[in-house]
Amino acid sequence: MTLSEKMLKIDRRIIFLMIGLCTLLPLLYPVGLPIKISAEVRGVYDHIESLPEGSVFFLSIDFDPASKPELYPQAIALLRHAFRKNLRVITLTLWVSGTGMADQIVTNVANEMGKEYGEDYAFLGWSPGGQAVIINMGQDLYSAFPSDYSGKPTKSLPVLEGVRNLKDVTYMVSLGAGRPGVEEWYVFGKDKYKFEMGGGCTGVMAPGLYPLLRSGQINGLIGGLRGAAEYESLIGQKGKAVAGMDAQSATHVAIIVLVIMCNLVYFSQRRTSRAQGQLG
Amino acid sequence: MDATIFGAWVATGLTLLIFSFLYKDTPLFKFAEHLYVGVSIGYTIVKTYDTVILHLIIKPIVENGEFALLIPVAIGMLMLTRYVPKAAWMSRYAFAFIVGMGSGLAIPRTISSFILKQVEDTVRPLLSMAGPDGLTFSMNLLNPASNLNAIIILLGVSSVLFYFFFSIEHSGAGKAVARTGIMFLMISFGAGFGYTVMARMSLLIGRLTDLIEFSDASYGRPTIWLALLTIGALVFISRRTKPASPEV
Amino acid sequence: MIFLRRQLPLLITLITGLLFAAQYYVPHPASEQMLTSATKWMQIVGGFALILGVTSLFHQHAVKIKRQEAGWGYSFVLYVGMLGTIAVGLWANGKESVEGAMTAFGWVYNFMMVPLQGTMFAILAFFIASAAYRSFRARSREAAVLLVAAVIVMMGRVPLGEYLIPLSGDVSSWILNVLNSSVRRAILIGISLGAIALSFKIIFGVERSYLGGGKE
Repeated sequence: MTLSEKMLKIDRRIIFLMIGLCTLLPLLYPVGLPIKISAEVRGVYDHIESLPEGSVFFLSIDFDPASKPELYPQAIALLRHAFRKNLRVITLTLWVSGTGMADQIVTNVANEMGKEYGEDYAFLGWSPGGQAVIINMGQDLYSAFPSDYSGKPTKSLPVLEGVRNLKDVTYMVSLGAGRPGVEEWYVFGKDKYKFEMGGGCTGVMAPGLYPLLRSGQINGLIGGLRGAAEYESLIGQKGKAVAGMDAQSATHVAIIVLVIMCNLVYFSQRRTSRAQGQLG
Repeated sequence: MDATIFGAWVATGLTLLIFSFLYKDTPLFKFAEHLYVGVSIGYTIVKTYDTVILHLIIKPIVENGEFALLIPVAIGMLMLTRYVPKAAWMSRYAFAFIVGMGSGLAIPRTISSFILKQVEDTVRPLLSMAGPDGLTFSMNLLNPASNLNAIIILLGVSSVLFYFFFSIEHSGAGKAVARTGIMFLMISFGAGFGYTVMARMSLLIGRLTDLIEFSDASYGRPTIWLALLTIGALVFISRRTKPASPEV
Repeated sequence: MIFLRRQLPLLITLITGLLFAAQYYVPHPASEQMLTSATKWMQIVGGFALILGVTSLFHQHAVKIKRQEAGWGYSFVLYVGMLGTIAVGLWANGKESVEGAMTAFGWVYNFMMVPLQGTMFAILAFFIASAAYRSFRARSREAAVLLVAAVIVMMGRVPLGEYLIPLSGDVSSWILNVLNSSVRRAILIGISLGAIALSFKIIFGVERSYLGGGKE
């Protein structure tokens, strides 16, 4: 077996170990490289920054624990920003398995920012039906959510005063890990009820949402952990996303090195087999 | 023991059991995998019961007398007739309602959101008005809204749509357009791969961040102790498993 | 009987489909009220659909335990996990927290479901690296283009990449905003046209596979 053949047949567990170490070491010994802010993330930040106090900010936390590392920091950063701007924050989730996490995010950030439940923010909880929930909220918020997560009647919450349906929402952000997510909120929500909208999503989904961004259907996009790190930098409160950027850098470089090695081996094998073919 | 500390031990243990799959598929992984499915199903059932049965059905009917809600309950019950072979055909009414309504809701909204809006942004003016009487052509590639980029986007959308249009043979000029479409597709797939790598690595970073947090002395260092235990279990399992007989 | 089993469901699909497609263009209060009520109904029906989905798994594993098929012990673990979660969930009134304090149900969610689901997807990081090493080769011109675009985006989206090759950030941004956008837009238009065609086929009874349930 030649060296190139040996290289290609390397035990995959060696690659696993390499990736594990490339992730672990930067987390233990961070470098803290500067993060450049993209126009996509700035779009969401600038819009929230421009909102007057008391505006209705709607956050749909549409993800489950599988996407927690990417979208949890996005939700925390967005909520910190909204609370700092003294917006009226209404949150919900369309993903059943994300309910516990959404509740935790909202409660923790509100406590940290000294906000009062019912007065400054509300968590409506989860409701099944995806697109039907969005349309129903667009028609009548209290029909879709007669009570909030804790069972209190939504009509009794002061934070919802003057909010009848989605038409009364000033700005809405969906943090989506799939369906229902950003696209559904546009198609079944913004298209008819005409609120301004931004999006946040996992890295896998981000390239697919660029057409909506370019056409102005969403005014900003926070993509993956990198997007979360940019948002954390913008609000000046660095958290888990910024901390993870060094590890992200290291793993990307590791994958690029692996791809280059694989191609070098492939081309050397191809040259050898061609040379043998000419000799034969 | 504090519930959080005990939770840290359980979470770390389950994380390591799943990670053991990286070494090989063992009963440790299978145990965690089945536990995951069980807990997820249980969680969904509880949330559905609490949200739908209690808060969307019983409460409005009992407290506000919204008896019209019995109609969707009946539709839902019809759906469950799937479990009764003789009455399974009745579930068709429920599916007919859901699918019919879903299709009806989707048609106009999809046309408006994904076809008209996307086409509208693709056929933007190729020259911009600058000032009262001047026309300009901006060449700035870094500005996605520049005229040059508008032409590239138009070219990309048309060539990719043409590539997927199989009613015309891709020969002659058509072949050149289709090949341009393929190149655009490859670049987009490459970008997609790059972002997928980014996403997958982020998930690993998230889990390892938790494991690092749980290696703290305040939790009793579950990461370290349970990692040693998992490695020990894997060594034990590999020794007990007979090595596969060499292929002849 | 054939009318009840076959034609009536198709008629229901036709009527509801046309009704709700037309509703979009008729913003009369009565039509809007119908939409409000019907979408509320769909929320409730959605709950039943969820139950239908999860209970089919429930049934599958029960059969495995009953017949003591290979790996039935794991099905037993699944059942214990499920019944335990249901018991704890009902005891906590389906709430993960009450006024900020974590309930037993919240504990199961935070310390069992979150790490299990999170790690299940995190291990994909290792497999994508292994797959990239073994099969991401520039075998043709198209594959080379894909590879170069992937490397540029991977470099351009991390701080180290932007530090080492400052241009990579701008180039990857251009790839995503212009080249990628055009492709995704074409795909989006194509998929939407397909979805609309399928919806019409469903409404007019050409596509009927969704009905299932029963032989006739």
